[in-house]
Amino acid sequence: MGKMSLKKKGIFFTFIAITIMTLFLIVFTPQAEISLQKDMQATSARISSIDNYVNDLETRYFETVLRATTYKAILSLTYYINSTGFFIPNLDSAFSEVMLNGTINNVPIDSITNKKIMDNSTLTNWSSRISEAAKDTLNVNTTIILINVTAFQTKPWDIDSMLKINITVKSNVAEWRKTAIISATISIEGLHDPYYFVNTNKAYANQVKKSSVEFDQWNITKVREHLRNGTYVYWQNPDAPSFLMRFTNTITSSSCCGIESLVNPNKISPADQIDSYADYILWDTTNNVPCSQLYNITNPATGGGIWDEFKYFKLDLGHTIKYNITPQDAVKTC
Amino acid sequence: MPLKKRGYFFVLDAVMGLMVLVIGVFLITSSYIDVPQPVQVELLSDDLLNFLSNTKIKDLNNQYTGIGGELWKQGEITEAENSLLQQIGEFYATNKPDTAEKFIQNVSKEIIPSQFRYEVWMDDAILYPKTPSAEHIKSKESTELLLTSKKITFGVINKTTSNLWGPYKSEVFLWER
Repeated sequence: MGKMSLKKKGIFFTFIAITIMTLFLIVFTPQAEISLQKDMQATSARISSIDNYVNDLETRYFETVLRATTYKAILSLTYYINSTGFFIPNLDSAFSEVMLNGTINNVPIDSITNKKIMDNSTLTNWSSRISEAAKDTLNVNTTIILINVTAFQTKPWDIDSMLKINITVKSNVAEWRKTAIISATISIEGLHDPYYFVNTNKAYANQVKKSSVEFDQWNITKVREHLRNGTYVYWQNPDAPSFLMRFTNTITSSSCCGIESLVNPNKISPADQIDSYADYILWDTTNNVPCSQLYNITNPATGGGIWDEFKYFKLDLGHTIKYNITPQDAVKTC
Repeated sequence: MPLKKRGYFFVLDAVMGLMVLVIGVFLITSSYIDVPQPVQVELLSDDLLNFLSNTKIKDLNNQYTGIGGELWKQGEITEAENSLLQQIGEFYATNKPDTAEKFIQNVSKEIIPSQFRYEVWMDDAILYPKTPSAEHIKSKESTELLLTSKKITFGVINKTTSNLWGPYKSEVFLWER
């Protein structure tokens, strides 16, 4: 009996050991952990992927869209001025309306300009397209609220635009909410100057092209080229208005961004005018330069000047000095 | 005799216990060994797509695709600020699938280890490889782990008019051979 009970005890202990090991295996088996780890990895990967998308929305997608739309809106507004023959009273509201809806005073701007520029290319159109693409690609619901958009200049040859948006991205794992301010910059080179359109009743179109002449390198030959090519120049401490100010006929000095060109007398009527042919002076009725302060850029005595090609071209004293025109090429008008 | 038998019984018991322990430890450790592989593959597909979307043409030092390279001289690439993914999208938008395929092959050949196969799709159209081989298709169909990474892409198609192409769904599929 004594032997039997001892044997039974041994089996009992063996069973206990096996049971404990089984429990140990069940509890610490990696399957459960791997599954959890896999789930965590999948969730983490999904969150990371959507997080990248949200960042891309702000830093890439809307930056590209804003840049393209800004260019199109400014181009449309230039054509709008060309079509109507009038300046825009409020550029900020007009720009915003064109950017967001493709309309001006609730009328599609393309129907006024007869050019298909803003059609399906507004910020609203692109917001919808991006949301749809995100739904298809990442299975997320994106809500984009366009709060406001503005255009301004801080450099003479560039236009900056700034867009404020609210972004909400909802997925099955998380939700992102963000207010973002996106900015983009476009060059004004190649765009038509609206100031020429209105003042010449659309007869004189001049595209902005930066002059390559350095401020201390001007001479009569370079002035001739400057006039021929219709190029623009930025002077330090300028009196001229910026490109955007030309949309609203705001002819005051812009310290950061004032640019000017010289008007070709062969392209205006009458060609002979008693005023400086610097664009912002010639067509500003409030800023007439007295004849006594004008110089004909010609000198019959020396044969200098540029009247052989640009007859009646005149400049005020300030510009004569800026462009380094010497008495050999200029005589007083009166 | 009974004493000898008892000793044998306990030795057997200890051996059985040890076996249980060894089998348990073996099962646990061997199960852990297989875990990291999916992570690697997943990182690779993300890596390739991130490389394509984060690298710009101007950043490439490549005789075929970089600035001054073959495609640049041919006028196929004109925007140095485009990301590689945008350039692929532009080739797709302008209906140049052959150029897109060569471009992808050229920029990605050093990125993906040779034991992996991959595909690049744009807007549900396969761009690389443009015409998958039977072996490629079979490999994709039989793989146990096919991973994908997706992004949206779009860009400017004409700088003069600022017209945009897209947005397209760009996708990378990657699996082990």
